[in-house]
Amino acid sequence: MSEETETRMLFIAPSSDLTPDQLVRHLHTLNLGINIKETCYGCVLEGTRAQLLHALTEARKLDPNRIFTKVRAFPVGDIRRCRAHHGSRPGFAQLQKEWKDLAMFDQGLQCVARGEHPPSPVRPKKMAVRDLKIICDEVGK
Amino acid sequence: MKIFIVPPNSLILFDLVERFGHQPLSIMAELRERVTSNEIEKPPLNVTVDDVKKGLKYAGIEVPSGIRGRLAVYGPMIEEAEAAIFMEDAPYSFGCVGCARTNEMVKLLVRKRKIPLLDLEYPHSDEEARAMVARIKEFLEGLK
Repeated sequence: MSEETETRMLFIAPSSDLTPDQLVRHLHTLNLGINIKETCYGCVLEGTRAQLLHALTEARKLDPNRIFTKVRAFPVGDIRRCRAHHGSRPGFAQLQKEWKDLAMFDQGLQCVARGEHPPSPVRPKKMAVRDLKIICDEVGK
Repeated sequence: MKIFIVPPNSLILFDLVERFGHQPLSIMAELRERVTSNEIEKPPLNVTVDDVKKGLKYAGIEVPSGIRGRLAVYGPMIEEAEAAIFMEDAPYSFGCVGCARTNEMVKLLVRKRKIPLLDLEYPHSDEEARAMVARIKEFLEGLK
């Protein structure tokens, strides 16, 4: 398994002071022998699984709770996906939404790391039909 | 342990499951074999004819081929899973990810397996996200 080539995306949470350029330069200096491509959200890495997990461990030393990762199906620079070749990015809307929300999860990870008791948020309930009718009656008067 | 995540391509769930020491079963890893094989030339042909036939194991012939094609990918992952995490109402669980009917079938197939399951709502605030991370950590540590 560890010898299989894998592609991973590293995302820097919007709350981080780290830039994709800093992250990529740091990874390049480690001489890991992997393919690294800088992107707007962080970078894409390609190499064996063991190499990528090592790179991830090193990257997380820069900002442990604000660098997130997931594997990617398509290889780096695949012409079916790469913007340089006018490839389509059907998953981009999802990545954008999740990237924006990473700042919330980074707070969650810090909370867990500090061993804090998590909050018990209560979502507002939907309005009962009876209450809505009362409002309608008042407006209709 | 192998954890099946819903939505199966979620960055947040994939990262958290791996961070807390388990192996997430993601659709990206599953699709990699398909998109790097010579059989498929370009999207949207991301399932093969054989996949649609395999999907018959998980859904009847009257079910649309799109759902069967997706289940051909999800089905083996569900069979492999030792636990599962659902994140309900994720804003991206439709559109390019696919289809509400597939999501319903997937949840049914997971529940039929009677494996440990954590059901969560997609967070809309910092407090909800903090509670969610804590619940995921507690669930995953409990599996060890």
